[in-house]
Amino acid sequence: MVTELADDMIVCRCEEVTVGEIKNAIHEGARDIVGVKRRTRAGMGLCQGRTCEKLVQQLLVQELHIPPNEAGSSSARPPVRPVTFGELAKGEVI
Amino acid sequence: MLQKDILVIGAGPAGLAASIEAGKLGASVLLVDLNMQPGGQLFKQIHKFFGSSAHRSGTRGYDIGKQLLTEANEANVEIWMQSTVIGIFPGNKIAIEKGFDDGKKEIITLQANKIIIATGASENAIRFKGWTTPGVMGAGAAQTMINVNHVKPGQKIVMLGTGNVGLIVSYQLMQAGCDVVTLVDAAPKIGGYAVHAAKICRAGVPIRLQHTIIEAIKGTDGCVSGCVIAKVDEHFQPIPGTEETIDCDTITLAAGLKPTMDLVKLAGCELTYNGVFGGYIPLHNERMETSCKGVYVAGDTTGVEEANTALEEGKIAGISAAEDLGLISSETAGQYRKEIWERLHALRLGPFGEKRMVEKEAIMKQYKEKIGAPEPIL
Amino acid sequence: MALINTGYLEYEELKNIQTLPDEERYQKGPVAVIECVQEIPCNPCEAACHLGAITIGNPITNLPTLSGDKCIGCGMCVARCPGLAIIIVDKTYSDTTAAISFPFEYYPTPVVGEERNAMNRKGEIVCRGKIIKVVNPNSYDHTPVVTVEIPKEYSDDVRTIERI
Repeated sequence: MVTELADDMIVCRCEEVTVGEIKNAIHEGARDIVGVKRRTRAGMGLCQGRTCEKLVQQLLVQELHIPPNEAGSSSARPPVRPVTFGELAKGEVI
Repeated sequence: MLQKDILVIGAGPAGLAASIEAGKLGASVLLVDLNMQPGGQLFKQIHKFFGSSAHRSGTRGYDIGKQLLTEANEANVEIWMQSTVIGIFPGNKIAIEKGFDDGKKEIITLQANKIIIATGASENAIRFKGWTTPGVMGAGAAQTMINVNHVKPGQKIVMLGTGNVGLIVSYQLMQAGCDVVTLVDAAPKIGGYAVHAAKICRAGVPIRLQHTIIEAIKGTDGCVSGCVIAKVDEHFQPIPGTEETIDCDTITLAAGLKPTMDLVKLAGCELTYNGVFGGYIPLHNERMETSCKGVYVAGDTTGVEEANTALEEGKIAGISAAEDLGLISSETAGQYRKEIWERLHALRLGPFGEKRMVEKEAIMKQYKEKIGAPEPIL
Repeated sequence: MALINTGYLEYEELKNIQTLPDEERYQKGPVAVIECVQEIPCNPCEAACHLGAITIGNPITNLPTLSGDKCIGCGMCVARCPGLAIIIVDKTYSDTTAAISFPFEYYPTPVVGEERNAMNRKGEIVCRGKIIKVVNPNSYDHTPVVTVEIPKEYSDDVRTIERI
């Protein structure tokens, strides 16, 4: 669903990134989810984009008039869920 | 380093079914899941399931979960709950944050010959003014609250979405004693099964089609105190002047699900985008093997469907992994798979299933063209 | 189809999609009315009927058909239908009243003798009804089947009772 949204509406709640900031990033040249993530930190918080990735995708689709698959998908890196340094330090080195 | 024949990630219907099949065939299977109890979504499914009476339909979801757990124990499946896979590394090495009942956590590394990823899907969010206000939540979250935690998310609820999740959770909220004020959907048609919609209607709850929520109103306590809905035009744009304020304390969003892809991506599986199945999914073949040799997928991770299809796909993944370990002949495995595919085929018939059948076939075709025989992981 | 657009179906629309008992069958006593109108993969009703009155066959997305001759209105299918789409209609309950049996999964479960508002498919109050039977054996798996007595003229409309 595409509706005109106020620029101050939050999209990524973990990193508190707004619609306006994401639109800005797109206008500055971000062409996909990873591009938006690099410029704004949207999707770099605790939930790693599980909530906002689709919303960022919708903004890319809306602003750039591209099909959703062209908005791409964020890359995954270990640890995919938050862990403490203490736990990691005790673990075996792979 | 700990060694296992098969690591199954996710103890929902797909992961349990995969573990049971592989365990029965003699594989050493470790099943890990980050939740408190195994069963995935099954334990929140208090309704009777659709499907074939030969395969547990008419049984309530949580009872299916209990049956699967018994079978998993009989098949000697080792289950680690509150345990999260945090990384998959070259050589099928896996890092798991293992949780213990006393709340302690420890990183365990293991090497698994085969990996089955059945991590399910997560709910889609929807943006509207005030969507981050406390009281706005996913329909699945509300369902967990009432059916697992036995806590009402609120008293007066507005549901956004009339797919099966929206309809079923609305019904269950009423069963839990909540007041479902209305269901709202921008589409001109009800998305889910007519029988589910009929239950909502005869309970006297209005379904407002071609409407959407444009604002969650924040009350003096900072939580939702109402919402503004409006009629939408054919482009799903709110029509000015049609706004209506509805008194409610909770807004639940049933806007579809997207497959959980992080571990699939970490394993290096090739992805494909598919709108029908909810977004990016791993390319897979009829053996449920991904582009990475020895890495299999099943259930909503391979495209959002439902528990019955997840169960069947899980069985295929378990059988294929056992076959690749040499525990079952290719001929027997092929025969099992054929029978399961016939059942899957039957589940994907009718106006609701056809699209999924066509797309599944397209994905398998794409796999054949792009991957052919899968490559070893990394 | 109205159902897809609004969520409920009028009896007349239902007749075009499902084979419903005719008036002659209704006059012979209680009979199942299956209000299942979409080809979804589901067939527990077929196995629930020990008399073989309900047929789905292959594929399991077929709509169920009811043989009015074989059906005795026992209600075994009512609690088994995951869609809660089957009811038993007895237009012969008395000279002036009919008895409607339907699945009811809300608390509080009504008790025999209680009076409640009877509702149609749209959720509108049609008339008052008297609860004459509540059946909830283990085999129904927490789906009580409630029977309400209502004036005969509403027997094609009343499908449930009001939640309280």
